[in-house]
Amino acid sequence: MARRSAVVGIGQTKYSKRAKDQSIDGLVREAAIKALDDAGMTFADIDAIVIGKAPDALEGVMMPELSLADALGAVGKPIHRVHTAGSVGASTAITGATMVESGRYDKVLVVCYEKQSDGNATWALSGGRSGGQGAGGTFAPWIRSYISRSGAPEHIGWKVAVKDRLNALRNPNAHLHLKDISIEKVKESPMLWDPLHFLESCPSSDGAAAVVIGSEEVALAAPTTPAWIIAHAKRTEFGSFPGRDTVRPQAGVDCSAALYKKAGITNPLTQIDCAELYVPFSWYEPMWLEGHGIMPEGEGWKLTDSGATELTGSFPVNPSGGVLSSNPIGASGMIRCLEAANQVRGTAGDYQVDGARVALGHAYGGAAQYFAMWIVSSDPDPVFS
Amino acid sequence: MTGQAPSITRVTEPRDVAIVAVSQTDSHRSYLEGEPTLIMQCVNDLLARTGLDRDALEFTIAGSCDYLSGMPFAFVANIDGVGAWPPVYESHVEMDGAWALNEAWFRLQCGDIDTALVIGSGKSSPGRPREVFPLQTDPYTMAPLGLDPVSMAGIQARALVDAGLATEADFAEIVSRSRRNALANPHAQVANDTSVKDLLAEPYFAAPLRRHDLPPISDGAAAVILVAGDRAREIAERPAWIRGLDHRIESHHPGLRDLTTSASTALAAKHAGVANGPIDVAEVMVNYSPEEVVLRNALGIPPGEGGAVVNPSGGPLAGHPVMATGLVRFVEVAQRIFDGSADRGVAHASSGPCLQQNLVCVLEGEA
Amino acid sequence: MKIEYPYERTTGPVVGAFLGALRDGRIVGNRCGDRVLVPPLEYDPDTAAPLDLDLVDVGPGGAVTSWTWIAEPTRKHPFQHPFAFALILLDGADVPFVHAVDAGSIDAMSTGMRVSAQFRDERSGAVTDVYFVPESAAVAQTITPGQEPVTMTTHLISLEVDEPLAPHRERFRAGLQEGKIIGQRSPASGKVYVPSRGYDAMERVQMTEADDVVCSDRGAISSFTEITPVQYYGQEETEPYVRASILLDGTDSPIIGIDIRGDDIAGVRVGMRVQAVWRPAADRRTDDMDNRWGGAWESVIERWEPTGEPDDDPRPLQQYAF
Repeated sequence: MARRSAVVGIGQTKYSKRAKDQSIDGLVREAAIKALDDAGMTFADIDAIVIGKAPDALEGVMMPELSLADALGAVGKPIHRVHTAGSVGASTAITGATMVESGRYDKVLVVCYEKQSDGNATWALSGGRSGGQGAGGTFAPWIRSYISRSGAPEHIGWKVAVKDRLNALRNPNAHLHLKDISIEKVKESPMLWDPLHFLESCPSSDGAAAVVIGSEEVALAAPTTPAWIIAHAKRTEFGSFPGRDTVRPQAGVDCSAALYKKAGITNPLTQIDCAELYVPFSWYEPMWLEGHGIMPEGEGWKLTDSGATELTGSFPVNPSGGVLSSNPIGASGMIRCLEAANQVRGTAGDYQVDGARVALGHAYGGAAQYFAMWIVSSDPDPVFS
Repeated sequence: MTGQAPSITRVTEPRDVAIVAVSQTDSHRSYLEGEPTLIMQCVNDLLARTGLDRDALEFTIAGSCDYLSGMPFAFVANIDGVGAWPPVYESHVEMDGAWALNEAWFRLQCGDIDTALVIGSGKSSPGRPREVFPLQTDPYTMAPLGLDPVSMAGIQARALVDAGLATEADFAEIVSRSRRNALANPHAQVANDTSVKDLLAEPYFAAPLRRHDLPPISDGAAAVILVAGDRAREIAERPAWIRGLDHRIESHHPGLRDLTTSASTALAAKHAGVANGPIDVAEVMVNYSPEEVVLRNALGIPPGEGGAVVNPSGGPLAGHPVMATGLVRFVEVAQRIFDGSADRGVAHASSGPCLQQNLVCVLEGEA
Repeated sequence: MKIEYPYERTTGPVVGAFLGALRDGRIVGNRCGDRVLVPPLEYDPDTAAPLDLDLVDVGPGGAVTSWTWIAEPTRKHPFQHPFAFALILLDGADVPFVHAVDAGSIDAMSTGMRVSAQFRDERSGAVTDVYFVPESAAVAQTITPGQEPVTMTTHLISLEVDEPLAPHRERFRAGLQEGKIIGQRSPASGKVYVPSRGYDAMERVQMTEADDVVCSDRGAISSFTEITPVQYYGQEETEPYVRASILLDGTDSPIIGIDIRGDDIAGVRVGMRVQAVWRPAADRRTDDMDNRWGGAWESVIERWEPTGEPDDDPRPLQQYAF
């Protein structure tokens, strides 16, 4: 039977286009040490280390658990490395949680990162070839399909782009601090992959994010409020097959259904207080609201349009600023999970959602085919009604 | 309706988990189709052997390495081999399939699922492994030197010889025996009967290593099904129970390590309980012949008659489908437990230069 | 196929100090307790606790503690003639590190021998700025130190991948050369996949030459986006173009990565029916096709011409977008 697990320490670097003068060791250590300090621990307390990041070609370092073993205090210990494309940050957090839930380890350090300024993300995402369409070029046609299917007005994407960047202004760790962001500025920014404007797209960031996940005993003894991991789920489907719905992937629908069932959630819109959703391109906010059963099909954009997903709304989405404001690819999924934990611990500072008790952390990857998500709560055994 | 999170109980004893079915492809010098096809062959083989449907396998986890082909996201195509429609619960590690098995074991401990499909796969033939593997080393002080695992193994071999722990003849004997054992392995790539004398007559390649002290370049895949609890006995007549499983890593900096020993293997072996009983068979990831000397010492399997049979398959010297090689060791031990020729075995996998990281597993069949 | 990128890494102060010293003709280690570590580390390797920068000059001479003679260097090695990789314990250091010794012959190498650092004429603040020779062969060098601290180091990583075309892919290539689009029909489901991957993943069934079918070269655009090219290393595109998927008549998977340019861009829409306009046979090029990316479409098909037929219904086409 699974044990309880909780996030007992959180650490992240300030995300930026290029990390300050720092080696890869320095980058991951900064986040790891912050998480350990937050947990009142040192490297010596940790039973096992899990790292997660996106393709190694982003930094040109293959299987970095090997070259980072010493830097992360892993010598003499188990170290494990997860790779599930863009969803990797959340997958890695989930792997860390299952290691504690298994009963074998009590304290697991989970670190996700990307130092993509060492290389070039567009180059890597294009497989190192010319003419790559990148992630945006792949998703843009599906976004256009969503818009036509749902009848959503064109300003929804711009609205999300502004909302997330305004939230980011309250997050000192966020990469983009666009003080003069506005609907006009988004509309006027160059079109990258029609219909996505430049300012509707995520930046390319360096950064690292870490959590310490502990068992129930560890959580109860920890100096900070634990963020109990009450449920997690992953689902994968083929990226392409006859009849595939790329706009509302079945794997996403199944993943969230499994997640809510595990948590005992029957009405995510009312029972979840806020969500950190992986939105690298603005329109994915309404698409995931629908694709993960928070809003009925065709109505996700209405929730966005109503202002409910703003920081002070009834269902804040991406209070941290989200992927639109910071995107170190390997870490982004972890950041969503970590920021959800921040919310339920009450440690989100200026972007704290009042009274957040239950939060969703989510990531997707590949051709919108990999999904990984978790629910954290301030209550180890919340009852939903 | 009130939804309720199911209450979770304290774990007291680890769940018993067994390997109930195994599959591996041949180790190919150059496989013309893609990696997904190799995986598909293993998965179809497992399903046929067990009679299970794809959706009976509740968690799937694969180990592979994008960098072998230099291609970011290469692993994504591999789900074509395992099947992902309807959507499946799966994950991936950029590590040998042995570590995928490790994660599957952990996942099964959580109690809510009972079955897992574990894959390891890789094609080394399209790239140049000696040019790819330096990228595993420190990017600032080692990788720009093109410091490859063959060179590192050569340094380790010299250290063993200098310390009086092994001779070149010992290395050649390991190669000779491995290749001879491989004659009985239908999947092996390099299998022949070559004498120690003939081997020693070959020129050095990375002195004191000769070409034959190195693994071949191979393409291949392997897969196993893990089942927790009594269900394992419904699927396999004689499941191979995982009685111990542990992995450890050493410093990345060779100057901080004793290259004549494998401290991480010894530590993992201790935590896996290797010494708790007799070992009938050990499949050990000997990529370079000197590693067998080091690993035998670390695992407590001295050479000589009457002890454990080491690498009856021929080991990686006979076939080295990178990222599956470690999982193949599990396949080989489990098979011998299934057929009753072994009761207790050790499967070992390594990663990184000079055995930097090591995973040890004890498998047992019931009487 | 070559996969290449010139990585540019920020070093941080510790690695930067080490590489900067190499550029300046010196080697440094870092004090950790009562040991001097080479190369210097940012942390105590035993505890992972942060380590202050407390640099110590080491070498240039030292002793070989282990070595190997590389008879056939790879193209990435520091030398293209036989040389040794060795663990070298520099004078003043407590930890050996690996580097290259240009000893001339295996007979000049032995455990315990003395070696000395030599610095290359061209240095950039990289570990390749230095190499070692037997101490007796070392020559005195005058190195002018650089002005600025080293905070970046570059590493051109270039990999060659040489994968023969899989048999079904070779038949596809040959088909394109002849002006035919060859897909495969699954014996299990009857669905036609183009380009085929050699198997039906939905059914987990491998396909053979018997499953090959010649597909129509006419169909409907099932998805598209207009791309404004982003510049990156190796990018050859400069002008905006449309990247589209086309569902060829009678098939069940779209061909993707179709580029539509210039005047053809106007009017592109989901459902628009198009017909391949093949290049003259002598102009078709398929020799750079590989097993993964797209179908070399532009080098065999000059353009996709709107047929003028009524559009196909765009709604079902959404499910054949990718």
